[in-house]
Amino acid sequence: MALTLNVNGDRRGFTADPVTPLVDVLREQFHLTGVKPVCREGFCGACMVLVDDRPTLSCLMPAALAQDCEVRTVEGLAANGTLNPIQQALEACDAVQCGMCFPGMVVTLTHLMKATPGATRDDVRSALTGNICRCTGYESIVEAAVRALAAT
Amino acid sequence: MTTNPLLQSGPPGSFYIAPSLPAALDALSDYGAAGATFAGGTWIMRSPIRHEQLKPHYVAIGKIPELSAIRIGTEAIEIGAAVTHAALAAALAGLPEFGVLTAAAGRAANPAIRAMATIGGNLSASAFAAADCVPALLCLDAEVEIASRSDRERISLEQFLKMRSSLAPGRLLTRIVVPRSARRTAHARLPLRQSGDYPVAIVSLAVDVDPANRVQAVRIAVGSIEPVARRWVRLEAALLGHVLDPAQATEVAAELVDEFTGRDSVEVPAWYRVSVLPSLVRRAAIAALGS
Repeated sequence: MALTLNVNGDRRGFTADPVTPLVDVLREQFHLTGVKPVCREGFCGACMVLVDDRPTLSCLMPAALAQDCEVRTVEGLAANGTLNPIQQALEACDAVQCGMCFPGMVVTLTHLMKATPGATRDDVRSALTGNICRCTGYESIVEAAVRALAAT
Repeated sequence: MTTNPLLQSGPPGSFYIAPSLPAALDALSDYGAAGATFAGGTWIMRSPIRHEQLKPHYVAIGKIPELSAIRIGTEAIEIGAAVTHAALAAALAGLPEFGVLTAAAGRAANPAIRAMATIGGNLSASAFAAADCVPALLCLDAEVEIASRSDRERISLEQFLKMRSSLAPGRLLTRIVVPRSARRTAHARLPLRQSGDYPVAIVSLAVDVDPANRVQAVRIAVGSIEPVARRWVRLEAALLGHVLDPAQATEVAAELVDEFTGRDSVEVPAWYRVSVLPSLVRRAAIAALGS
């Protein structure tokens, strides 16, 4: 089936079965490998992207449903090459560990910053419920998010 | 990493995004056994993990306005089958009588799943034993509407759970109807992690008590223990007419818990699921009395 997606401002057509998970299209057609296919069950959050500005598990979204939507991956979060506030805070707090979960965390927190600028530490923890870090490096990530929120 | 075979050549599937309920029912009828409804997709998209074949044709119902609506009436609430867990929890947040359903929809899985997964899908996924909304709706005495191209019928949720796995092709769960009353409700669940996980066991409670907290009517449903959620009728009978005391309810539940045969799984052994039930009854009773 011929499909067309809008990803990080780039509109591109390709052919695939319509129920192909969006994560596979992003990685194999758009070569955006920041999106990680890890659990493929919607539990780990490593494949999180923004679809029409909403955090979406790309392993559970069929490509056909993403048509006519604006898809944004971690590669598309830094406008004009400038890291967004949460990216800057994560870098400043040295919050990165192995990096597998990290793109999904950045996507989730970018949405939280925009949708809930007054978010508390508990809100940050709640928002990250679906982003699993196998390094258990949550504290520095949460701290970075709290710092970024305080600066807004 | 291997390429997803769906990106390679092969028999092409179809994915029809239905603009209306009649259009969806027509498509489902035309596809017959080769087609299926696609609501939130959080169960269907995991078919490969369960080693299940995907259907050749899917009919997406998420963009049908009447299936995405919640109508709060004076006698009942009507919930479209394509309403997401997140939308349902938000819509019912100000209605304490539906606290059990708000908690079920608002705490299931994780935020991104709740924004995708639908109430209709939760009720229709017959192999998903840990669905939070099933026991919640059982204790609320919910009914469901089933539609096909040629007719509509309304049946109790309990009836639907018995026949859902053999629902004829072309038939679709379209809405859930929940009667209103001044009951107290609570949803007690035990996930292995604090949140973001499937519950090991669920107890959903709806109870009417008099000013002395004597039980006038009670419905208790148990989920995730057995393959299909069900009412705990013997416990209901034991509590009826007595003061709802959490400690006593726990003792009675412990005496009756042997009627359950737990599911064995990689997460927990069968006996563990059953063993936590009395504690969940206590938590539900405390929450209901405090609501």
